[in-house]
Amino acid sequence: MASNPMQQFTVRRIGPEINIAGVDLSFTNASLFMVISATVIILFLFLGSKEKKIIPNKLQLIAEMTYTFVAKMISDTAGSKARPYFPFIFSLFMFVLICNMVGMLPYSFTVTSHIIVTLIMALFIFIAVTIIGFIKHGFKYLSIFVPSGVPAVLLPLITIIEIISYLSRPVSLSVRLFANMMAGHTMLKVFGGFVVSLGILGGWLPLSFSVALTGLEILVAFLQAYVFAILTCIYLNDALNLHH
Amino acid sequence: MKSFLSLLIASVAINTELFAAEAGMPQLDPTYWASQAFWLILVFTVLYISISKFYLPKIKNNLDNRENKIKDDLENANKFKEESESKLKEYDLILEKAKKEVLKIHFETKSTLDKDIQSKKVSMEKEIEKEILKAQKEISELKKNSISSIQIISGSIVSNIIENITGDKLNESSIKATVEDVSKKNMSKFL
Repeated sequence: MASNPMQQFTVRRIGPEINIAGVDLSFTNASLFMVISATVIILFLFLGSKEKKIIPNKLQLIAEMTYTFVAKMISDTAGSKARPYFPFIFSLFMFVLICNMVGMLPYSFTVTSHIIVTLIMALFIFIAVTIIGFIKHGFKYLSIFVPSGVPAVLLPLITIIEIISYLSRPVSLSVRLFANMMAGHTMLKVFGGFVVSLGILGGWLPLSFSVALTGLEILVAFLQAYVFAILTCIYLNDALNLHH
Repeated sequence: MKSFLSLLIASVAINTELFAAEAGMPQLDPTYWASQAFWLILVFTVLYISISKFYLPKIKNNLDNRENKIKDDLENANKFKEESESKLKEYDLILEKAKKEVLKIHFETKSTLDKDIQSKKVSMEKEIEKEILKAQKEISELKKNSISSIQIISGSIVSNIIENITGDKLNESSIKATVEDVSKKNMSKFL
């Protein structure tokens, strides 16, 4: 059924089936749009850093603004110690942002609307941050679960809550992005379906909604990429600067 | 904001209804999970390496270059400004010095001129005085001479007159004495 709003999220195999050790690693439309997004990013950065002008052209300016934007975001939330992780957070931000934006194009596929993709990114961040925390502080890193200035009676409860909140980080991080992208695209599809079903007479209202929602979704696409990156920075800050 | 919220709630309601109707999301179908994970890791690794190795250093380099250039330019501008200020001060100093010099020279010339004029004046006065004295002497001499010549002339006139009137020749010495006497009496009136 063409008007099924969830159909846009279906993953289809493109080309031959790649099977390694019994695991299906075929190239799919999801993989295709990952590659497209990465290509867009690399092309953008290539053109943005090609000419070294004192007075930049538009593309160079945008690339430099993106750089300073992410750099400022990191230094504001995680301080100067997070400097070595800047390339990773920049790549992450750009990847999520461009995947979201490419997903806004009609007939395209939104990579970040799949829980497995966001979960892998979130889990990677979670595990990496935890490892960094233990490397930097050893077992003292566990004191992140014991906030200071809490009455002794409440301490066990607070510690349990802290542990749960720490462990739920990858879930909240991944589900936030995935749910936002999925809900937005489903909503667009539903309103688009209304336009078709209500026809020329009644379709104008959902059409105007669709237009407004498209604007909103572009905002959400940017905002979710920003939130994803800044939460990563905050988690990194917890691991690098241990204080509560 | 309120309308947006209600819209959101409505859409969520529609979505849940549709989920219930369609029974399942493609996202939860694990057939291609491994594939997605594999391609995500592959693509992201390539992206990360190319960004961190090539593009970010390039952009950073460019930004640093610009910042350095701006800083250098500003520094240069400040240096030039300071230089010009010091030059201006130097210029002012020279100007002031020159003014002082001019005043000094002016004063010196004036004083030497004054002295010169004074000394010239004094010597001139002296000379004039001398001349006057000389003239006076001459005059007084002339006066004295004129008295004696007047006496002689008046003596001869008197003897002539008397001779013409009387035909007698008078004693010359007595005439002389008389003339002298009269002239002494009256001469002081004229001289």
